[in-house]
Amino acid sequence: MQTKKNTNETGNVLLCVLGTILIVSLIGATVLRNSTTRLNASSNQVRAWKEALSAAETGGDIGFAELRKQLSDPANQWAGWTPSGTGYGYVSPETTFGNSNLRARTGVETCYFDVSGAFHLGSNPDPNANNWYRVRSKGTAPLPNLKRTGMDDALTNDGLQHFAAFGSMQMQDITARGKGNSLLRKIDFQYDHFVATYGPNGDGLNKALVTASYAPSISRRVEQIVMPVTPFFDAAIKSATTFYGLGSAAWIDSYDSRNGPYDPTVKTNPNSLYYNDSRHGNVEIGSATATIMGTIYGDVATDGGNVTKKTANVTGTIDNNVPFTLLDYQMPDTSAWTYQSSPTNVTSTKTLAPPSAGTSNAPIYYVFTTITGALTVNPAVVGGNPVDTYVAIRVTGDISGGNAGVTVNPKVHLKIYFEGNISVKNNNLVNQNPSFANPYAGNLQFYGISPPAGTPQTVTLNPATPQTLAATFYAPSADVHENGNPDFIGTVVCKSFYSNGNISWHYDRALNDEGQLLDFRIASYVEDTR
Amino acid sequence: MMVAMATASAILGVTVTSSIALQRSFNSTDNYLATHTQQIRIVDFLARDVRRGLSVVSSVDEQTVQIQIPKYIIQAGDPEAILNPLLIGTPRSPSRAIVSRDYNINYGAAAPSFVQYKVNGASIERWEDGVRTTIASSTDNLLPQTIDTELANTEYTTTSITFKPISVADRSGTIVYATAYLRNRRRPPP
Repeated sequence: MQTKKNTNETGNVLLCVLGTILIVSLIGATVLRNSTTRLNASSNQVRAWKEALSAAETGGDIGFAELRKQLSDPANQWAGWTPSGTGYGYVSPETTFGNSNLRARTGVETCYFDVSGAFHLGSNPDPNANNWYRVRSKGTAPLPNLKRTGMDDALTNDGLQHFAAFGSMQMQDITARGKGNSLLRKIDFQYDHFVATYGPNGDGLNKALVTASYAPSISRRVEQIVMPVTPFFDAAIKSATTFYGLGSAAWIDSYDSRNGPYDPTVKTNPNSLYYNDSRHGNVEIGSATATIMGTIYGDVATDGGNVTKKTANVTGTIDNNVPFTLLDYQMPDTSAWTYQSSPTNVTSTKTLAPPSAGTSNAPIYYVFTTITGALTVNPAVVGGNPVDTYVAIRVTGDISGGNAGVTVNPKVHLKIYFEGNISVKNNNLVNQNPSFANPYAGNLQFYGISPPAGTPQTVTLNPATPQTLAATFYAPSADVHENGNPDFIGTVVCKSFYSNGNISWHYDRALNDEGQLLDFRIASYVEDTR
Repeated sequence: MMVAMATASAILGVTVTSSIALQRSFNSTDNYLATHTQQIRIVDFLARDVRRGLSVVSSVDEQTVQIQIPKYIIQAGDPEAILNPLLIGTPRSPSRAIVSRDYNINYGAAAPSFVQYKVNGASIERWEDGVRTTIASSTDNLLPQTIDTELANTEYTTTSITFKPISVADRSGTIVYATAYLRNRRRPPP
């Protein structure tokens, strides 16, 4: 028997199979599409977004390293950089680095803050003060593969109806996803959205359609404020080890010479405009041992805290958790300084008449073996008039003896770098710039070059008829003894400090930015998230 | 005929069942990945704000985080914007103050921006100066927990985020950790 072939059923199985394949294929295609976009969002875009920050911070590090060349290699600072359009700084070449070909570019601008704390671009008008810097860096990470948005962004925007029921949890999910990714990770598919929307400096000026350095890519921008580390910041006395002082009737307060001469009534007059300036007579001690005598109109900081005696006479706070380290001090680079071959020592009364004014970065430079006599430094005379004159003296031996001393005349800015010890009478250090009645301590600065390890260094200021002593001492390896009771204006940074005289000691807040540049430090970090 | 129909029905049944199972499996996977993406987004939002933060406080239940961030961009209503509306949307210049023997760099005379992260139902919300943004929302019950650790010389937050996938009962396998350090000098929290 032969069964008749039913031709009407021909192809049914094929249709079923094809239908099944179609359904499975659709599901598979949807899954693949979703997976790809999810992978793109959760892997590529997240990775690029994080790497862009890494690149931006690398750019900041590059700028920071270039700034530090001011200390280590000033001749080659800014080599390869181009002047910025603002005229206040430099822009780095674009650096490409890493396996992902990240790119970084940095702009460094010189700036300063005035006495009120307001920001200004450009160099500090006070030639003795150190500049601050604004470092803006941009980091870019390429997005590999095709130009894809995240899946969540593509589905909906705020206010647009979606296939999911409005108000449903599913809708909430989708809406949230769309908002979240768009706000967080801004992708430049073709053009740099930041330049197009906010301008290259982000200030709304010079907006332009600029092709992104990679397309697509993600860029992030970071702004950091870099401050100079200076030796005399906000401390009347800073001692790395022990502190004893001052006399029981002594006091330490502060003022700001930019607001006028020192006024002893301000520290106890809350109605004074400058009352706040009077409460920065701070004492910082890098060990746990501190014996407080007299009155301190400011804070006391120690490392581990064993503050004894008149702790109730500290008007500010006593913070016993402030460790710090004073590094050895080395003679700065003198290659750009104007060297004078004579005199070579001061053994009797001697007057220096510098041949030219010099600058704060390139002073007139003398090298003495000792100072045992009275040295007077006059300003240079240009066109018959004395001018502001910057002088640096290196003393390879001691500054000592009953007649040893230094007199700084008006318009002279003197820095003395000593390798040996100091032992002089208080009243043999005379600072008359700008005047004897109102001297500025920053015009007579002593720097103690650290001796080899194990070799002691001392600074001893001996009793004499009390008068004003306006000077700064930065001697991180020296044991300082103040044996007299002068009216002291300035600051001392040392290894250890001892004094039992009834001194009136005034820290000048104008010293905050002054003194030898020791290093740089990042004072602020903010990301421009636009 | 009966055998053929039975066989065909069985095949169809298996196909339909497989399709549904596949679809559910794919849906679960897709949902898992979508929620995982949101986990990362929460972490990234939080880390971005903590990194530039001036102070961070996390609540006892670890589900609310308060951060002060510099008010870098001039916004409508700010004093500078009132004086010059063209400044809206532009970066602020910093100012400087000395507090406790060190410099504070401030952006704007007013208080810094106040950012708060919190859980609201199934949503994770970010509030900045009173403006809400839902940064994540999921039926999978995302659960962020942030601990703020203050040390003598630094401060950081550790965040862990879990969710409960529709296909798996246990949320512990979904945990994502992140740590972010503050870059700026710390300020007292408001």
